[in-house]
Amino acid sequence: MSTPLLSVRDLSVTFSVRPEGIRPWARGRPLRAVRDVCFDLAPGETLGLVGESGSGKSTLARALVGTVRASGGRVLWRGEDLLSMAPGDRRRRRRDIQMIFQDPLAALDPRMTAGEIIAEPLVTHEPRLARERVRERVAATMERVGLLPEQRNRYPHEFSGGQCQRIGIARALIVEPRLVICDEPVSALDVSVQAQIINLLRELKRDLDLALIFIAHDLSVVKHVSDRIMVFYLGRVMESAAARDLVRSPRHPYTRALISAAPIPDPEVERRRRAIELKGDLPSPLAPPSGCVFRTRCPEARPSCAGESPAMRDFGRGHFAACPFGDDA
Amino acid sequence: MTLLRVRDLDVSFDTPDGTVHAVNGVDLAVDAGRSLAVVGESGSGKSQIMLAVMGLLAPNATATGSVEFEGTELVGLGEAALNRIRASRIAMVFQDPMTALNPYMRISDQMTEVLTLHRGMSRREALAESVRLLDAMEVPEARRRIGMYPHEFSGGMRQRVLIAMALLCRPRLLIADEPTTALDVTVQSRILRLLAAVRSELDTAVILVTHDAGVVAGSCDEMVVLYGGRIMESGPVDRVFAAPRHPYTRGLLDAVPRLDRDDDTLPAIPGDPLNMNRLPAGCPFAPRCPRVHERCRRDRPSLEVHAPRHHAACHDPLEDAP
Repeated sequence: MSTPLLSVRDLSVTFSVRPEGIRPWARGRPLRAVRDVCFDLAPGETLGLVGESGSGKSTLARALVGTVRASGGRVLWRGEDLLSMAPGDRRRRRRDIQMIFQDPLAALDPRMTAGEIIAEPLVTHEPRLARERVRERVAATMERVGLLPEQRNRYPHEFSGGQCQRIGIARALIVEPRLVICDEPVSALDVSVQAQIINLLRELKRDLDLALIFIAHDLSVVKHVSDRIMVFYLGRVMESAAARDLVRSPRHPYTRALISAAPIPDPEVERRRRAIELKGDLPSPLAPPSGCVFRTRCPEARPSCAGESPAMRDFGRGHFAACPFGDDA
Repeated sequence: MTLLRVRDLDVSFDTPDGTVHAVNGVDLAVDAGRSLAVVGESGSGKSQIMLAVMGLLAPNATATGSVEFEGTELVGLGEAALNRIRASRIAMVFQDPMTALNPYMRISDQMTEVLTLHRGMSRREALAESVRLLDAMEVPEARRRIGMYPHEFSGGMRQRVLIAMALLCRPRLLIADEPTTALDVTVQSRILRLLAAVRSELDTAVILVTHDAGVVAGSCDEMVVLYGGRIMESGPVDRVFAAPRHPYTRGLLDAVPRLDRDDDTLPAIPGDPLNMNRLPAGCPFAPRCPRVHERCRRDRPSLEVHAPRHHAACHDPLEDAP
């Protein structure tokens, strides 16, 4: 096993929020958006982060690239701690980690041409690069992601949603990163275009030996692109395993509910299966349940779940779940 | 019994860039108590058909053709008559429940208003009936929550409130336009279960407008597949999924990653969705179709019968799966 590209240890992100109705001079209350997350990412590996709204998966991504301050833990990039690094060093490291966003049109500056948008990170990181070289790199990257270099002078609104996402991918790739973090990269796209972008990401990962962190709420999409999947709920990791293993033999009741609720485009299959319904609604992240955060909605909750927060149990072959009753199914 | 029959519906928009033909010659029908899925990607015209049925098209839109509901022609019907039908016979649920609710009114006022106006109930009766409907839609502590404002509800609960409101007058037809698209999957499965219960218990027909083939498979009897404002294929859900005739339907079904399969590459449909300002002369799917012929670019195929109730508009339809 090669040394990990990225090692995350006990990463936590806490926001201070002021709920309605509190005195303006009162201190904000802590919202623990991400709690004690640990994982390793190998070069060329794709890690999928899945969870519903409020699960903390996007906050985690933002903490990794430094746009949100972590409140605790370590993020080691090839052994160096990114969080304690001087800002200048971190900026240079940042080149290795790029990000792709959900809404492709909103993520692109409407007053810049496609060529300028794609060139921008390159010019930032290599200000002395000759203009001719920048042009060549832009053209090559555009071709790599399935855009025509002739389209460089067009503006974002002249492209379709799928093409805008290709521009976003080109912009991330032009500085030759080792890791690309994709935050819901296909959820705003039509199904037929979504498949194109998923295939492109898989191809790029294979050809460029890129590592990906792929964040999405759609488990079917995440499973399709990921080597390994981590399931989040209310800021905590519920389960983590190899993608196929996780879907075939889920150990955590929340993962089982997610799998059972994912629609399958086959009427015969749909007739035979039943979604496991979760009780009630998502608790407020300001007042998460004690013990296991999922217990208030868990179909298998027992009194003991309210006590200690469950430890990650090892089920072998890199399969972990934060539930003491994981083998009962 | 046919509840709603749409015939040769066209919807066009006058825009500064010329006339845009959003819906072209669409036919569809829903029987009482049945469910129809209207499937399409963005720009397919699926929502515009429903807005035309409801008489809620934008001011720059024109609808021609026929929309017959319980024997009454709705196209060209006066606003007052249309209002009576909309209030009590057809109801609609939208994707974003927040924009469909009045943010300044308590849920109780929004719900009882409908009942006092259209069903002549007293305020007290109306309130009791509203609480019963919220209960039926599994809004916990309905009696207390009915006094709250829309923003105080979670997204999934807001959608349940909206369905409860849509059911106040026991409509014969419920149109749900992407009702679960903005929701988490575990919330989605509950909404779909409730819609199915409404259909079987109240005998209300449901039209589900969606882009998601998985949702269609689990909850509808019949389906129509739209592309570029035209019907590409229509038929019973089981048949269309098992043996799609139109290459677009096939492509759409294959492009969805499936949790129960370990496929490596996803067969994507090449190219980009249509620009509705520049519709091709022939089949709208021709520019992206893997089976395209010269003829497809020239002549528009009409919907032909391929099996009982199974129609497709294609010059070179797919064969039955072996």
